[in-house]
Amino acid sequence: MGSKLLVRAYNVGCGDCIYVRIPDGDDDFHILIDCGSKEGAKSGVMKRAIKHLETEMLPAGEDAGKKRLDLIVVTHRHEDHIKGFNAKFFEHIEIKNIWITAAMDKTHVQAKRSLKLHAFASSQMQALAESGAALSPELNDLVGLYGIGNKGATEALTETLPEKNGIEVKYVFAGKTSDDYELSIDNTMITVLAPEKDIDGFYLGKAADEELRGLQESSEAFKSKSVAVEDEKPTNISSSDFQRLQSRLLSNGLAFAVDDSKIQNNVSTVLLIEWAGRRLLFVGDAEWDDEYEEGSKNGSWNVMWHTRKEHLSEPIDFLKVGHHGSHNATPWHRDAGPDHEVNQIFDAILPLPIGNKKPTAQCLVSTKRKQYDTIPDAELLTELGKRVSNNKNYLEDFEADDDDFDPDQDIFNYSVLKTYSKPPSPRQVGEKEWLDKNQPIRTDMESAGKGDGNMTQTVEFVDVELDPK
Amino acid sequence: MGKRRKMTKATRTGAYAAAQYLNSSVEKEVGVQIPFDVYLQDPLTAETHPMFGFDEDFHVVWEPGLTDGPTSARFAVVDYNGDTGRIAPKAVWDEGKEQFLDPEGKELDKDNVESLQFHQVNVWAILQRALAFFEDGNGLGRRIPFGFEGNRLIVVPHAGYGKNAFYDRKSKSLQFYYFDEGDKRVYTCLSTDIINHEFGHAVLDGVRPYFFRSSLVETGAFHEFMGDITAILITLRNNVFRHKLVEKTDGTLSEAKILSGIAEEFGTAVSENPYLRTAQNKYKMPKDPNSFGPHRLSEVLTGAMFDILLAFSEHYIKRALDKDKNKSKSRKEVAKTAFYNAINQMHRIAIQPLDLLPPVDVTFKDYANAVLRSQALGNPTDPYKHYDLILKAFRNREIFNDADVLEHEAPKYLYDRISLDVFHDIDNISRSRAGAYRFLDDNRNKLLIPFQQDIIIADLYDANKLTREARRLPRQIILEYIWSEEIILEGPQFGEYQGERTTMLCGGTLVFDDKGSVLSWFRKPGSEHDTHGGNQKEWIKEVAAGKVRRVEFLEILAERIKSGHIGSALGSSRGMLGTLIPPLTVQKDDGILKFELSPHLSLKEDHKHSKLRKRWEVSS
Repeated sequence: MGSKLLVRAYNVGCGDCIYVRIPDGDDDFHILIDCGSKEGAKSGVMKRAIKHLETEMLPAGEDAGKKRLDLIVVTHRHEDHIKGFNAKFFEHIEIKNIWITAAMDKTHVQAKRSLKLHAFASSQMQALAESGAALSPELNDLVGLYGIGNKGATEALTETLPEKNGIEVKYVFAGKTSDDYELSIDNTMITVLAPEKDIDGFYLGKAADEELRGLQESSEAFKSKSVAVEDEKPTNISSSDFQRLQSRLLSNGLAFAVDDSKIQNNVSTVLLIEWAGRRLLFVGDAEWDDEYEEGSKNGSWNVMWHTRKEHLSEPIDFLKVGHHGSHNATPWHRDAGPDHEVNQIFDAILPLPIGNKKPTAQCLVSTKRKQYDTIPDAELLTELGKRVSNNKNYLEDFEADDDDFDPDQDIFNYSVLKTYSKPPSPRQVGEKEWLDKNQPIRTDMESAGKGDGNMTQTVEFVDVELDPK
Repeated sequence: MGKRRKMTKATRTGAYAAAQYLNSSVEKEVGVQIPFDVYLQDPLTAETHPMFGFDEDFHVVWEPGLTDGPTSARFAVVDYNGDTGRIAPKAVWDEGKEQFLDPEGKELDKDNVESLQFHQVNVWAILQRALAFFEDGNGLGRRIPFGFEGNRLIVVPHAGYGKNAFYDRKSKSLQFYYFDEGDKRVYTCLSTDIINHEFGHAVLDGVRPYFFRSSLVETGAFHEFMGDITAILITLRNNVFRHKLVEKTDGTLSEAKILSGIAEEFGTAVSENPYLRTAQNKYKMPKDPNSFGPHRLSEVLTGAMFDILLAFSEHYIKRALDKDKNKSKSRKEVAKTAFYNAINQMHRIAIQPLDLLPPVDVTFKDYANAVLRSQALGNPTDPYKHYDLILKAFRNREIFNDADVLEHEAPKYLYDRISLDVFHDIDNISRSRAGAYRFLDDNRNKLLIPFQQDIIIADLYDANKLTREARRLPRQIILEYIWSEEIILEGPQFGEYQGERTTMLCGGTLVFDDKGSVLSWFRKPGSEHDTHGGNQKEWIKEVAAGKVRRVEFLEILAERIKSGHIGSALGSSRGMLGTLIPPLTVQKDDGILKFELSPHLSLKEDHKHSKLRKRWEVSS
């Protein structure tokens, strides 16, 4: 019941588990936005985070021995956002409201086609996983997105938890506000900026839908005129030639899974929390694309700029950086000029300070450097570092802590699993080149392990507090 | 023609063995060539314009090993569908009926077009004809290899759903996909243009396999040009099509009329790649070709060759009218024959120069030089100044500049002796790669091959080409040699490849006649001086040219890295992620980075070369 608004990012590795506490008269309003991670279940990070939330942050509930959580928001269905929604973790928590992106509503008419695409992609990726087929490393994550764990979490969010708490899930879409959902919080308005209600129209696009339909209809037609290759292999080429051929055909399963994965990010629930004159933006994994195009597969930022521009035309006070600091979820087009649509968004919400002025906005990056150089994007983080006040030069920070700090040895390497036949290039290592530049506060670097390959066994989090304006 | 007497297989085999001494009509009469029903263009055209439905005079050369699939010496049709994981039954060869049959025993002719087996036969037959087009004396005049290890191209007529068709060296395959357009299902395996275009890639890969290692956009564009010109020339060889075209255009075969005529007749047909329409353009060679996509760039060269075709047509029409003293013939009447002659001429003009090209990194100028050299060899007296006609076309498109034109116009002899240190008899050179190597090694100094470099004999073969009126040219012996110049990628402009080693391929193509005279010598120089010294003047010039090449090579590579054009193909043992295949793939082979052209997917124009970084990042 203080006067400050608190945003806490639990360190769950590459994932989001974001707690927001809004002062609300004599009481506070407690929100959990996502709980997921790419860490395996055995790491325990999500369980520990929820336990900490329960014991340290939430107020008593109506029932004895229980705590109260006012609102769960699920931005989208990827494992790094929902895997932690295990009903057992919430056994002692009374949940008052659950908001989930309308894209996950199986009955939503305007999401019918994207749900169909998702179902197809899921079945294809699950079949691929079950077959044990060798995969390019970059595709392991893609296949992993469709793992069994997600099904359990989705069930918990849409059935088990609502039932246990006597509530109904609200499938939210752009334009809706906290008032519409009868949430009354002092001095606060929560506005849903995305996804648009017409999921298929804005984010799927006509082409993808037609392709899926064509694929499914034609496959049926072919099935009747052919036999399974397990029953009749080709006899006019060798088996090794045939195996190689199979690996070099174009996989519609993979193509649609990539499409679906992108669409899922783009149908993330995006919330604008306006509290006491402050504006806070939570974007899930919403992506941007080159430009908005009617009837096409659009990026969420482009759609928001096209349909909800009035909410993005002014600076914000806080940004939950999208997609763990990936280049495609913060609207900064580094190869284009300031007039580009995407850069207009960036300059509107997080303008570069002019002259000697210091930035006043803050942001948080919930991330963990992993095997690829794309997450987080170090160049993006240094650009963000110029536009927010809660930034750090982590090299100075680490050297101050430890006289013997050696960025070559002590900083998290690209992948603890890889071995290098020669010293990896700076790009492969990832952080070495950028460590001495200001970056926003990020969960992996704030960790006691300084972004080690393994997660620490204690609960860690990074806080941002905002005063009323 | 009277009813042909049925032949036994043994007799037919004997006739097949003697085929080199038979002309086409005799081959048809004795059954060495067999008629097949294939689409002239594609099913949509057949439906809307029945006159252009089926190719009425389509024959394929019989082979003793012809069997189910179809499977022949160079093609094996495998009707596997990646989406379903299922395989369709093969078309069955019936030697007695001289036809392929479907699983129910029905012949696969124009009354049985709905069956998947008809598709199998259609694509196979079109490919057999396309191969014959290249191996014919008016083409390369020899059996041609493929660019992969092996000699049989796997043909997949229904690979899966998508607007795609491509040649893939790694799997030794031509893959044809299908897609829905409106309420119709469109099969790329039934589009003659698409089949010929994709096969053009396969042929060029066989003739010049090291082009795949080039990072030049121009070389990628040359590959596209090859596909387009193959499709155009084979289509224009069809008598019915050609006659109709002449009728439609009143014999005035100017650019606009030809192509508007075609557009009207064929509509959009199958694809968004109307090959004939790509020839209708006025594009000139840009100042910076590497900033263009390969398809768009290729249109400059396709347009130039089409200009040449039209110029030859006009030339032949004019000659015929000039010859007609009584003025008894109309323009339209002479146009049919004129156009026929022009097409035959173009077969030689466009295809024969391929053997003269350097073994690596081809540019449009290289090809233009080869076209002119080939023209000079085939038509040394050139009474009607065909050489000038061709030169003018390349100048107009700015593939040549004024200095190039002056050089070509300068008087020169057809043969000039090249200076050598050690004589080698042509029989020894042509007999084996080892023999060819000894020739090159003994003459490194004069052939401007650095002493410190090991030479690879990329290929050694001979060809028997024809010139006008089917007269034989002297046998050509073609020797391609290359070496690798190692380069370390120094500097941040090479991104994640900084510090890595790669190679710039250098080399040349020497073409001899059967007496050992050098007919042609095109080179791609290296930038290293010979460590054993050498003929200073020629070496200085060569090394200077090599240094220019090296600078350009590195600049282009850096640009392509910056643009995100280089990466790995992502996939699984169950298939590739086509949407995210970068234009160039890279792999490390024994510590050396090798960049390779990717299969050019999609029937659409160049993908939008988006500046979005890391475009093959998978959202997760």
